[in-house]
Amino acid sequence: MRATRILVLSLGIALAISGVAPLLMRTLADSRPSIEVNFDHTGPREVEDTTQKAINRDYSSAWQAITTALNNNDPAPLRQNFAGFALDQLVQRVKDQQSSGVKTRIIDHGHKVDAIFYSKDGSAMQLRDTASIETQVLEGNTVIHSDQSQIQYFAVMTSAEDRWKLRVLESSPEK
Amino acid sequence: MRKLILMALITAVCWFAVDSANASELKVPQNAVAGQPISIGLGGNGDGTLYLIGQGQVIKRNVKLGNDVEIKGEELRSAGRWIAVLRAGGTSQSQVFWVKPGPPENLSFLARPSRVPVHQQSAISGTVFLFDKFNNWVLQPTPVNFNLSVNGSGVSRAVTSRDGVAWIETSSAPREGAAQFVASVGSASVRRVIQQVASQPCNLRMHVSQRTQSRIIVETDPVRDCTGNAVPDGTIVTFTQNDKSGKSTVDARIRKGIAKAELPASDNAMISVAAGYTLGNELHVGGR
Repeated sequence: MRATRILVLSLGIALAISGVAPLLMRTLADSRPSIEVNFDHTGPREVEDTTQKAINRDYSSAWQAITTALNNNDPAPLRQNFAGFALDQLVQRVKDQQSSGVKTRIIDHGHKVDAIFYSKDGSAMQLRDTASIETQVLEGNTVIHSDQSQIQYFAVMTSAEDRWKLRVLESSPEK
Repeated sequence: MRKLILMALITAVCWFAVDSANASELKVPQNAVAGQPISIGLGGNGDGTLYLIGQGQVIKRNVKLGNDVEIKGEELRSAGRWIAVLRAGGTSQSQVFWVKPGPPENLSFLARPSRVPVHQQSAISGTVFLFDKFNNWVLQPTPVNFNLSVNGSGVSRAVTSRDGVAWIETSSAPREGAAQFVASVGSASVRRVIQQVASQPCNLRMHVSQRTQSRIIVETDPVRDCTGNAVPDGTIVTFTQNDKSGKSTVDARIRKGIAKAELPASDNAMISVAAGYTLGNELHVGGR
């Protein structure tokens, strides 16, 4: 009797875990990545406190949008967080992924960012980001590539109507 | 028994050799540049699918293993990190490679402000971001020429970009006019116009132009800034009269270079004039 109870309980726990785990993974994948931005060496203009907070929030939000867009092959999340060349490139990437039958899963382990340039008029900021990223390429549901690496990105964010938008994003081999 | 072992060994070696010959291999380029053709080496036998996944595009090709795959320059548009994945026989091989941006051909030029008073220190800033013909950001140091001129005279400066950005800060010219602010790299250039306008009035002076029993008319000399530019019409000049009956103030706009006000007649008044934070002369009218 006791053994049956334990067996039923174990089965119940296993069932609960199997249900919750994918949901948890999806939630984690969709959550904002951790971003640490250092504004100590930004020039020629000093970065205001409110701008620092906004850059932290909006750069993180932009990466969340990349992750969601490339994983779901849906460009919609990009439009809120990107503008200009970066938006054009990422929308094209999503379109190409759709037509090629692949998608990209990004598991974002965090970003160490230096704000290196803030324009005199306060309209544009350049960031150098060392991102710890795990990239998986999927053909259908089969993972055909997986790597985990530190990638250096350069980004330009510009102030838009209600937020900072990522206007240029380019990866570069680390110097 | 020996012969049997030898045959088994030979079979194993042949098997390994055939398997190695059929195994797919992937050789990615080491110095790829956006807009230039690349060749990707594919070893092995049979058919496969090659995926090239860049930041801003994905290229998919059905390939015959054992042949190199040529990617045309116009197809390779995106700079940055790429992943090459070869799918063949249910297995996949992948390699990461980098594509550099091409030479700079486009400039994104932020020039601020669009309107500025003359003779102001560090009042004008210009920031340039460099891009190649596919709008990849050119991060290599590149000399950028900035030229700011009004009516043919001005300043020119070369700044080498750092991490894809070049910027300058400069003073506005002493003379008003539409300043041409040009940033250029090679044959690519972008022009912005910055309207330089007269600064605050300087040496503001007035005199009594007419006096009757009931009124005093005062007017300024032509109102100019400290470098001799005429302060624009419409600028407010304030005339204030103080006498025993109290204070009278008239805000007058500059018209045709001068400001004029009609004040009540007084036999003993002090009249002062001001525009912005500039104070002009004072006049004592009447009295002993």
